[in-house]
Amino acid sequence: MSDKPAVCIQIKDDLLAVAMGEATPSAVRRVERHLAACAPCRREFQEYRAVDNAVTTLREDPLPSGRLAQARERLETRLADLRRRLLTYRIFPSPLGHILIARSELGISLVEYLERGTSLRASRLSHEPGVEIVGDGGELEAPSRELLEYLDGRRKHLEWPLDLRLARSDFQRTVLQATAALPYGAVIPYAGIAQEVGKAAAVRAVAQALRWNPLPIVIPCHRVIGTSGALTGYAGGKVGLKQRLLSLEGVPTTKRAGVLGITPQAMYILYPGEQEYCLPTCPSFSTHRPAPLTRFASRESAEAAGFAPCTTCRPDLHPISR
Amino acid sequence: MSAEAFEAVVTTHHAEIFRYLRRVIGRGDDADDLSQETFLRAYRAYRSLPRDANVRAWLFSIATNLAKNHFRSETRRRRAYGEVRASTREAVDSAPEAVLVSRETGALVEGIVGRLPLKQRLAFTQRKIHGLDYEAIGRSLGCSAESARAHVFQALRKIRQGLDGHGLLPEESQP
Repeated sequence: MSDKPAVCIQIKDDLLAVAMGEATPSAVRRVERHLAACAPCRREFQEYRAVDNAVTTLREDPLPSGRLAQARERLETRLADLRRRLLTYRIFPSPLGHILIARSELGISLVEYLERGTSLRASRLSHEPGVEIVGDGGELEAPSRELLEYLDGRRKHLEWPLDLRLARSDFQRTVLQATAALPYGAVIPYAGIAQEVGKAAAVRAVAQALRWNPLPIVIPCHRVIGTSGALTGYAGGKVGLKQRLLSLEGVPTTKRAGVLGITPQAMYILYPGEQEYCLPTCPSFSTHRPAPLTRFASRESAEAAGFAPCTTCRPDLHPISR
Repeated sequence: MSAEAFEAVVTTHHAEIFRYLRRVIGRGDDADDLSQETFLRAYRAYRSLPRDANVRAWLFSIATNLAKNHFRSETRRRRAYGEVRASTREAVDSAPEAVLVSRETGALVEGIVGRLPLKQRLAFTQRKIHGLDYEAIGRSLGCSAESARAHVFQALRKIRQGLDGHGLLPEESQP
């Protein structure tokens, strides 16, 4: 039990607040009146003032020289490592189902169709070794919007910086880079990509590399098809999505004997190394060796990719009618 | 906030956060480790920080949470107290004669602060050494501004009692 008078007990919080310079003007007046009449509280007040002064000496921190610089250097090293490993992500609904998109400091590193849910747990990211994942704070809003515009047909190009570090091998990276160059509205056989990367015999390896494409749509592996014209696979069994993406670009597809494929006679063709695109009936093809052909959905897509109409078959004068 | 802006955050606040952690958990490597962890956590989260957020108070809040977790181990707590007291003695021993008295009082205060209950110590250090407002301190401790203020005042009462008149008032002002 305190033997202080009740008035001193009542005023003790205000007294301390005034000593610390944190009191309201009315509390200051109240305390001043009380201190004028109470010697023990006056002494307590002075002691608190002295405590406040003593505390100011604690603001000096005798940090050994170099210690701070060393700490900062270690922090910078760890931050640089984290920056390399950190991915931000966003999940959003699209006409093709929920999509997850992730980016690193270098660029977009993952576009993923989520099949097993709408959360991060449904993503391959949650099993990806060596990465740290955090929700995005808005920087993926623009890429998400652009992707939706693309899927809506209002945009033909996604001009994003890409980070291919989630690729599983250097070979896959090379295949992805070659695939990234395929123009809108064009298709090419797996063999064409194999030839492009200098490994003409590695057709199956190319197909495998594209099966695990970490950046579908933006690296348009849907534009790579079988030599026969069949769409074959897409992202592990999603051939229906492949057809939708190709239809968006105007590539005609049909189902024959239960197999989805392009309609070759309804597409313009380009021989490897040529600068002119042709009608599928162009007589000059009888002189060419068999090779993986690039096919275009339209004259516009061929010309947008930088090719001119063939001067023999004149696709500009005799366009394919569908 | 952009990645460049985060660099500026590190430049502006690292030294103060490092000093804060040295004050509340002791001067060993733990303070360095926790200050690094503070900024790594901040880096992971800064994208979600509102534009008008008080970055300094936010960093103090992260550092305070890390300090609280750190002290969940009683063994660590005891070791850190020992470190605070040991470094305090060194500071007193090496001080010039003229400033010995005020330094000695400061060292006594530091010793008392080192023995305060954790919340009082964290609140006191944030308020009286780093000058944060009670709203921010309350957020970092998971309590109201009023409770944060009560922790600080309780700490000040204990410091006054702990000093027991030592170095508080010159002789002539004593009754």
